[in-house]
Amino acid sequence: MIVKEWCMYCGECAGVCPRNLIEVRELGLRFNEEGCKDCQICIQICPVDALEK
Amino acid sequence: MLVVDVLVIGAGPAGSSAAKHAALNGAEVLMIDKKSEIGVPKRCAEGVSKEGLKQLGIEPNPRWITKELSGVRMVSPNGTDVILDEDKVKLPEAGYILERKVFDKFMAMDAARAGAQIMVKTLATGLKREGDRVIVSAEHMDHEFEIQAKIIIAADGPESRVGRWAGLKTGTKPKNMESCAQFEMVNVEMKEPDCIEFHFGSVAPGGYAWIFPKGDDLANVGLGILNTLTEKTAYQHLLEFVDNNPATQNAQPVELNIGGDPVGGVIKDLVADNVLVVGDAAGMVNPLTGGGITSGMTGGRIAGEVAAKAVKDEAWSAKDMKEYKKLCQEEVADSFKKYLKTKEYLLSLSDEELDSIAEAFQETDFDVINTSEIVKKLVKVSPKALLKLGKLF
Repeated sequence: MIVKEWCMYCGECAGVCPRNLIEVRELGLRFNEEGCKDCQICIQICPVDALEK
Repeated sequence: MLVVDVLVIGAGPAGSSAAKHAALNGAEVLMIDKKSEIGVPKRCAEGVSKEGLKQLGIEPNPRWITKELSGVRMVSPNGTDVILDEDKVKLPEAGYILERKVFDKFMAMDAARAGAQIMVKTLATGLKREGDRVIVSAEHMDHEFEIQAKIIIAADGPESRVGRWAGLKTGTKPKNMESCAQFEMVNVEMKEPDCIEFHFGSVAPGGYAWIFPKGDDLANVGLGILNTLTEKTAYQHLLEFVDNNPATQNAQPVELNIGGDPVGGVIKDLVADNVLVVGDAAGMVNPLTGGGITSGMTGGRIAGEVAAKAVKDEAWSAKDMKEYKKLCQEEVADSFKKYLKTKEYLLSLSDEELDSIAEAFQETDFDVINTSEIVKKLVKVSPKALLKLGKLF
């Protein structure tokens, strides 16, 4: 997952990730890519389009 | 390893309320928050009801109230408006506009004064059970450590990861997650500067747009959308709203806020062994307005009391703490039912239907009308209101 530099770490992606794979830090996102099934819900919900596969 | 009775994860209003009440009732409490500053950035339009604060026993403080409101202005897609006076029609999340950055800190201070310890810039990274205790792994700067607790209160907001670590279904489906974007703006020229303003229709698919005044010419100008109903992002919708709204033609932003708001209602299972879920993480958000400050804090108060009692009784299995679910049902979830139905009705209306409803209420004197008369009148212009709202009000 590519996190664009305008990400504001709001954590909305983490809330909708059906597998709970996104760790939201104060200034960073960490994806557990291994468990990802590529549903892309996180990409679609981002309020500022900051995620890209 | 740190050892405490109760660990609260997340220092928003719900977490602070839980920490305060657990400490007041005798538990040894630690509250952690991943951010370096509690309350920042805000992810909220900052409206709160006076009644809600009163019920929580929180004295209004000028240091965190920016504006006292007198009513609500609702605007249909073609600009037709209906103004309701707060004294005449009781509305949720109407009363004060807060300064959340200050309010959240004050709530955390209340928790600390009640005896809770607080650690900031401390991130919970995982949870495991050991015997009848839980061990939470955490990070503070370069320091990785563990916290052992009897009870975890998960107050980690819309991310709601902690509850899921404990086996609860706290995640939110996209159809229940409002994606929100907001500017705090200056030079806002509101038609009714003492009213909170709601704009309905395709301006915000699946949600609404708002202008909440913060005193002088300041306001939170934002909206929430369901991304299942639009191709655009919340931010794109916000830019269009600001471009087109008469009140924001000369307005300039001083802040941009974004975030998710879980509006599907309180989750079914709030309790696991050693774990209680509160606030946004538990869906304690009014499904119609998206407001969750006082409902989250009410859940927090109940969680704090139940947790402290469990510590005293030395019994903190899901079964031992099942009272939490029952009390939250009574004090929080039951009141959401009519709002959920109202939201479903509202979201079923086209722009044309919203306009015709707003037109129909133009001559209404709300001083002499009660809620059931409002519904009766609504049914005349929008027959499906009877089906969806008739029995609720």
